[in-house]
Amino acid sequence: MVLTLFLIITLTFFLVEAQPGDYASFYVLNPDIPPEVKDQIRAAFGLDRPVWQQYLIHLKNTATGNLGVSFGNYPRPVIDVLAERVPRTLMLFLTATAVSFYIGFFLGKAIAWRRGGLFEYATTISGAVLFTAFTPAFALMMIWAFAFKLGWFPVGKFLDPLVWRGADVSANYVFGNMLLSAVAFIVFALLVMLLLRRFGRRVPSAAALPIVLGGAVVIAAAWTVSGIGGLALDIVKHMVLPVATLTLISFAGTMLLTRNSMLETIREDYVMAARAKGLPDKQVRDRHAARNAMLPVVTSLVYSLIFAIDGSVIIESVFSWPGTGLTLLQAVRSEDLPLVMGAILFIGVLSLLAHVIVDVLYVYLDPRIRYQ
Amino acid sequence: MTDRRDPLLKVDGLSLSYQTRQGEVQAVRDVSFELARGSALGLVGESGCGKTSVANCLMRLLPDNARLSAGRVLLDGQDILLLTEEEMRLLRWRRISMVFQAAMNVLDPVYRVGQQIIEAIETHGVESTDSGARERVARLLRMVGLDPQLMERYPHEFSGGMRQRAVIAMALSCDPDLMIADEPTTALDVIVQDRILRELKAIQQQLAMSLIYISHDIAVVAEVTDVVGVMYAGRLVEMGETADVFRAPAHPYTAALMSSFPSVSGERHLLTSLPGEPPNLSDPPPGCPFHPRCAYATDVCRVEYPPEVRAGSHRAACWHPLDATLVPQS
Amino acid sequence: MTTPEPVGPTPTPELAVDAGSSRLRFVLARLRLMWRSFRSGGGTFLESHMGRLSLFIIIVYALMAVAHPILMASVWDPATYDPVTGYSFDQVEQPAPPSWKHPLGTDPLGRDVLSQLLYSTRSEFVLGITAALVTVTIATFVGAVAAYYGRLLDAFFMRLADLMIALPAISLLIVLSALFHLNLFYLALIIGVLSGFGGTAIILKSQALSIKVKPFIEAARVAGGGHFHIIFVHIIPHLLPLALLYMMFTVTSAIFAEAVLSFLGLLDLRMSWGIMIHTANTGGYLLGGTRYWWLIVPAGASITLLCSAFYLAGRALDEVVNPRLRQRHD
Repeated sequence: MVLTLFLIITLTFFLVEAQPGDYASFYVLNPDIPPEVKDQIRAAFGLDRPVWQQYLIHLKNTATGNLGVSFGNYPRPVIDVLAERVPRTLMLFLTATAVSFYIGFFLGKAIAWRRGGLFEYATTISGAVLFTAFTPAFALMMIWAFAFKLGWFPVGKFLDPLVWRGADVSANYVFGNMLLSAVAFIVFALLVMLLLRRFGRRVPSAAALPIVLGGAVVIAAAWTVSGIGGLALDIVKHMVLPVATLTLISFAGTMLLTRNSMLETIREDYVMAARAKGLPDKQVRDRHAARNAMLPVVTSLVYSLIFAIDGSVIIESVFSWPGTGLTLLQAVRSEDLPLVMGAILFIGVLSLLAHVIVDVLYVYLDPRIRYQ
Repeated sequence: MTDRRDPLLKVDGLSLSYQTRQGEVQAVRDVSFELARGSALGLVGESGCGKTSVANCLMRLLPDNARLSAGRVLLDGQDILLLTEEEMRLLRWRRISMVFQAAMNVLDPVYRVGQQIIEAIETHGVESTDSGARERVARLLRMVGLDPQLMERYPHEFSGGMRQRAVIAMALSCDPDLMIADEPTTALDVIVQDRILRELKAIQQQLAMSLIYISHDIAVVAEVTDVVGVMYAGRLVEMGETADVFRAPAHPYTAALMSSFPSVSGERHLLTSLPGEPPNLSDPPPGCPFHPRCAYATDVCRVEYPPEVRAGSHRAACWHPLDATLVPQS
Repeated sequence: MTTPEPVGPTPTPELAVDAGSSRLRFVLARLRLMWRSFRSGGGTFLESHMGRLSLFIIIVYALMAVAHPILMASVWDPATYDPVTGYSFDQVEQPAPPSWKHPLGTDPLGRDVLSQLLYSTRSEFVLGITAALVTVTIATFVGAVAAYYGRLLDAFFMRLADLMIALPAISLLIVLSALFHLNLFYLALIIGVLSGFGGTAIILKSQALSIKVKPFIEAARVAGGGHFHIIFVHIIPHLLPLALLYMMFTVTSAIFAEAVLSFLGLLDLRMSWGIMIHTANTGGYLLGGTRYWWLIVPAGASITLLCSAFYLAGRALDEVVNPRLRQRHD
């Protein structure tokens, strides 16, 4: 894992090195940077030394979080710019992945369980169409339909300046708190479910819903009282459309995969046995067939996560959502090399994280791996 | 109240077919038998003769392309083929449980073994408390010769024999009246197979539970069962007390089947294998389905299905029964 | 130097006499065999709706690609119809809606949309097929070599493949487009390399592994076949059907990647479907919704249609190549 990260850093470095014109010249030619700073930068990055020394310095700088100074946002350091943008991407992308995985898995198991029929046909066709639809065009259609024609959601961007005029807190502060409460809520919900499963075999699982909803109400109430609830709501409003678009284009992959995987597990002996035990149909489907069908789907979650990372670059650019993807794109357009390298590094780290998460999840889900 | 002397299970004229691309496959044709409380019935025959289909009919676990064309399955006088799916669900495992063929995959790999047994116990409300259910699982595991501690383990940590024992424990978990064992020991080595068989037999007698034992292995069936039915091409061709049938088989197929296995009683005789293949069930031959492979076949066998011949409880469907004491009933 | 003998099974004397013609016969027999399996496979392919539909769409687009140079040479005046430099002078307003002269209207710069569409089709095919060929060449070779030699080489290529899979391709291409001026050929090359060393290599390697243990490989080795002979003559031909399948998927991803990058305005191309949408988008015509439909629908639909056609062709081929999948429909 560390090795892969190292390879990504190396790869980006040498790609930059290999491109026509060197890294240093970009710094030198940039009119925004005062000459004395240029010398400073030259020294810090060792731009006057041989390539291999530059490479070592680059490695050291990367390891210590020094990614250089952005040209486009001079004099902000790259790490600063990214620290602002990464959470926005994470929010967009994690929400969309979670929702699309849930929907895809749910639909997939449903259509595999009841083969044939209009429902299966309709979901498969629409899923495949959405899956192969040209993402930017589809995203633009979504904007046109829901923001322009229907006016339900704002046309893009991260927030509405009119709402924020006169606000005494920064968008990042609000957003950071939103991220925190989202994480807190998820942890809370998981804990409730885990505890209920562990201690209350006799407690109906329906009890989980009111408790979790109660948690949601508490968090919502806290936001209302805090006075920045309106601002948070504004961000949420801007999030709905990109998340929905990203979800729509990526749920079909999970759905089709779940369906295929389900069709395999349905024929397994333990599903037959579960039915013979007299378990209710739903329990056979969810606890046995779908539970096992989930394993290969989770393995491929890596691919869908990476698909979603790529997708979020496109979505961010179409929706002008100022996350890592849009940053990357703007940096590329303005030839802001340090920012390009920083952004791709973070996207790489993100996809590695996806790998790690999936590995951990898999170990948790499959006892055969757990005890090896 | 049902009379204790009534048979537990009465299968009457059961016929089942599968719709396939190659046409209709008649997997079970006009099968009838009775099973008394606490006794063990064996079903033998080559693979593909319809044994497993009969078992699946009794559990009403049939694939979508199966069609029950005729017959009744009476459990304590009640036709289970007429029950709703929900009524049937509550009856499964509680009244009739099953030990599956190829038991290696019967246990779900992602759950602990104990959990899977408890799942059945909870569904049918056999025990009202958690600790009760766990004690029951421990008792069941001991009964099949497993350490109760193993309930916390996952199936992949079990050997083949252990898994089969766990599956039997699971089948016993709700005190069923009838247990169907479909080739439960085929995948195991001979020594383990023999031990499990003995235990199964002992448990069956101890619990006074009825048992249907399905196998292609005549020796095993002879060891375990009281009554035996021989199936060929979806038909029940011979049936009777196990001792009677194997001492004096009436149907040439039974005799052929017996001579292709080493003798149960240790007598030496030449093992012969049966020539030919079982018939294609989507296009069965006219008359007796066994005639193309039968040494005794005459013209009538090729045209008309044989009548039932009988002597007491021993019956067969053959024009030329090898045991002449069996005669047609008027 | 002696004349190179075909390595492989030692020729029998009478074959050795007439080595040339026997080799010819051998090749012919092999071709006939391939043709036969191709025909039966093709049958399965065409039997599926997906296969027929996808083939139809691909053929229609191929015809469109061929049509463009013919039209330019015959009916279309380059000054008006050139996809990049043409300008339609008789329209008052640009973009103009479809008319007899311009069946799909003109774009904001007064160029004929149909001409752009047809012109781009050719580059999409060139791009897709180049990328697919690069992928398959690399992946087949890497897969075969990794499977055949195993150990270090295998470990190296598989780690490399893991890395390639972990890279978000579009993001990487965006970065590359910043550093180099990407044209069609480089784009095809990069996509081919990414996919060839990535997932496709893993799949072909596992296929090669299953071929490696087949008896005829052992036979070839015993007969004195060298490593390269075995890899190229015995392993790689068996990888080709699967490789063909993954070619289809590569075409899809190549066309998609091109469209996305062009849409973002990062590619150095004359004209493509992505650029058409890019032009419309930068002009702000996309949010006009249905009013300027001819600016987005033809190109957008073409990307979707051709991408899904190649994808579906891959799925249909999958059924031909993987017999396991075929059985599912029985």
